Amino acid sequence: MIEFQEVHKSYRLKGVTKTILNKLTTRFPTGKNIGILGHNGAGKSTLMRLIAGAELPDSGRIKRNVKISWPLGFGGGFAGKMTGIENVRFVARMYGEDTERMVEFVEDFSELGPSMTLPIQTYSSGMKARLAFGVSMAINFECYLIDEVTAVGDRRFKRKCDEVFESKLKHANIIMISHSERTIKKLCDTACLLHEGELIMYDSVDEALAQHRENQLK
Amino acid sequence: MEGVITTQARVIGALVLRETRTAFGDTQLGYLWAVVTPTLSTLVLVFIFSTVGRAPAFGTSFALFFATGVFPFQTYSKLSNSLMTAISSSRGLLSYPLVKETDILLSKYILITLTYFMIIIVFFTTLVLFNDAPIPVRVEECGIAFFMLTLLGLGAGATNAVIFRLWPTWKQLEAIISRPLFFLSGIFYVPSDFPTDIVKLLSWNPVLHGIEWFREGYYGNYDSIVLDRTYLLTVATILLLIGFFGERLYRKKSIR
Repeated sequence: MIEFQEVHKSYRLKGVTKTILNKLTTRFPTGKNIGILGHNGAGKSTLMRLIAGAELPDSGRIKRNVKISWPLGFGGGFAGKMTGIENVRFVARMYGEDTERMVEFVEDFSELGPSMTLPIQTYSSGMKARLAFGVSMAINFECYLIDEVTAVGDRRFKRKCDEVFESKLKHANIIMISHSERTIKKLCDTACLLHEGELIMYDSVDEALAQHRENQLK
Repeated sequence: MEGVITTQARVIGALVLRETRTAFGDTQLGYLWAVVTPTLSTLVLVFIFSTVGRAPAFGTSFALFFATGVFPFQTYSKLSNSLMTAISSSRGLLSYPLVKETDILLSKYILITLTYFMIIIVFFTTLVLFNDAPIPVRVEECGIAFFMLTLLGLGAGATNAVIFRLWPTWKQLEAIISRPLFFLSGIFYVPSDFPTDIVKLLSWNPVLHGIEWFREGYYGNYDSIVLDRTYLLTVATILLLIGFFGERLYRKKSIR
């Protein structure tokens, strides 16, 4: 269960104030996969970082009692000068996981082969994405946060991602941002819509998508 | 749920190890450079000064006198300088919910302190082995003085980080302001060489007190005319309070 209590979040940049969340009180129910909809710049990624705890609200409280991942599909925490293996070890140490087990899992999953011993700065963006995906799949979270997973690698690798993901979904839930209606429909049970500082929870994905489409036309 | 402290200790440990790789990861000797560079560059300076025939302001060994000043000073300035930009340059790390700003500051503090601790041990052991210096008279005093200077550096660095976050120009200004400290901290001289009114001005500099403290510990008969341990401790405490309260105020609130 993730609960928002009177959460306010705004940004000020060069005198322009932008409100992302206006005194939001809501709960993200456990046991459901939730999609987050909203147009570009509505603050979906910020909302996700708030859920993760990677960013703090201006006021209000966020309560969580499940083990939540960092926003997935991001490799920003990787250090370019460190090798793939070293980056994996760093995350493992941080989360108190067995480092060698995790390295093995990621090596096996990401299929980077000998590149694992090279510094990350030599990787292509596809290779980095594979590594990032592998690292987050190596840890068992109760809730995975997914920020716009775009296609990673070739078709075979994509199938592999889907497989491991489905096995995770048996024991865990997701909260995801996606612009693809198909992905949301496929993976989510319900959805919410972030629009002009307000977050509205819908009972069904279709309802949320319909409202989202309507907002887009305005 | 496991304890907050064990989690943070684990995160800081992971960050320290990561830092040893990121700073020197692409060189052959890796982290060893962190120890080798300052040691060798000081040796070069000592060599130049000794060939010019410069006599130490205190004692018989120029190398010893210079080292008792320059290493404590470098410890402080390295801390105050690197901690300023530590958070902004590892912004990506903050996307891991487990990593807090203070963890980044503390892990860097731990690594720099340990590094300079090793440098000091290596350098002074070498001097003693080559009979250029006696063993320190009161090692524990040297240790406390060193620790106090690291706290001062942590406070200054954390405070710098807060100011830098609010006002990025501070990085350039700070470099200009802190440059003269090298000459104002008694690295080449003893304060008693100067007239009293100048000594009074110099004694505002907390780093000078740290160095004087270190020298009193090493020489045993140094008898500093300015040393005020409480003053150093007070300045360090004030800076630590400003730095960490400021950090709390702006934690994870800035824009990427």
